[in-house]
Amino acid sequence: MRLTLFPAALVALAPASAFAVHYLSAEQAQKLMFPDAERFELRDVAADAGSTHAGDAPMQVRIARRGDATLGYVVVDEVVGKFERITYAVGLNRDGSVRQVEVMDYRESHGHEIRLPAWRRQFEGKTVASAIRVGEDIANISGATLSCQHVTDGVRRIVARIDALRRSGSLG
Amino acid sequence: MNTIGATGPWRRRARPLLGTLVEVGLRDGEAAGDGEGAARAAFEAIAHVQARMSRFDPDSDVSRFHTLAVGEAIAVDPATAEVLHAARWLHDATDGVFDVGLGSGARGWRCDGERLERLAPVATLDLGGIAKGYAVDVAVEALRRHGCESGWVNAGGDLRVFGDARVPVMLRDEAHGGVRPFATVADAALASSHFGPQSRSRAWGLDRGARACCVSVAAPRCVWADALTKVVAVGGDARHRALGACGAHAWLH
Repeated sequence: MRLTLFPAALVALAPASAFAVHYLSAEQAQKLMFPDAERFELRDVAADAGSTHAGDAPMQVRIARRGDATLGYVVVDEVVGKFERITYAVGLNRDGSVRQVEVMDYRESHGHEIRLPAWRRQFEGKTVASAIRVGEDIANISGATLSCQHVTDGVRRIVARIDALRRSGSLG
Repeated sequence: MNTIGATGPWRRRARPLLGTLVEVGLRDGEAAGDGEGAARAAFEAIAHVQARMSRFDPDSDVSRFHTLAVGEAIAVDPATAEVLHAARWLHDATDGVFDVGLGSGARGWRCDGERLERLAPVATLDLGGIAKGYAVDVAVEALRRHGCESGWVNAGGDLRVFGDARVPVMLRDEAHGGVRPFATVADAALASSHFGPQSRSRAWGLDRGARACCVSVAAPRCVWADALTKVVAVGGDARHRALGACGAHAWLH
């Protein structure tokens, strides 16, 4: 057992920093979930299509295909918690059941910036988010009230929406 | 020695499990295949612990125990039995401070081998204070079975590092956000919990004191690191004698 502690005085003085981990790209996530798929067809879904929740936004569904067969679906989503923002992918089987959930990106804010609307706004476009790359070499975070409730709620909404879209035949 | 970086030999995967984010890290080239099978096995080992021990899952051993009448017993999963035996040992070693019965009576249940019996009508069980650390341990075992010689598993602050990996750990500022450096961990488990009115972590008996504190415990196994954070938080004693019995060290901060 080897443990090196940072001196307590330095820890108290250290400025709170940000933190980010990149796990998977959307392409890597979909391949991990459906290794047998030959291709993934992108299908854009309007905000109100299959919507079960007032805050639903337009959504892109990646349909995993092998020949003419549909193997399942992948949806990429983002959630913002108290201090963190998580991008994740949900893989669903053909019958709409959850196959796998993979975290793609995890970002922890500096803290002082999370209360600013501008900080949240920067996540509204996917391309802007890559600007947050501070502290990428940091491995792990502890002592966190790290709840994945936002992810769990997001997965539930996606499952309900994919179910409605499947039933209406919009996912072909 | 390898410090973890964004680039380099480490393959990192994360999934939402145990009500938090679970991260698995392994070194490319050590596990069979591309390492994805090893990572998947680690997540599946954790999912198994969750399915057997979560009080929110109606099919878990814990939920099945809650449906028993006094004198009735069920056969539980070997993993559940192992956690119950560890919990019983720690209960006795801490004079009842660590209590998976949440004050409902430590003698309300008995686990002989893999047979769990209800002894009192009011007995409830909550393994939330110990099963997360245990899950990290079994995930590490799964990685090793798949050929990994080094790596780590972190379940929302319950971390175990093995082999020659060295993992820097940051502590989150619970009040204001942001993270600060705390320690570098190698070949050990480190669990940190923040106990306060808004925290997810709960320790039986702590609510009466209503002190907010952050506790970190290092131990050879994560099951002890996780469980002992509650013991230290309740007593406010970072030198509790149960720590020594588990080969553990604690910090209050």
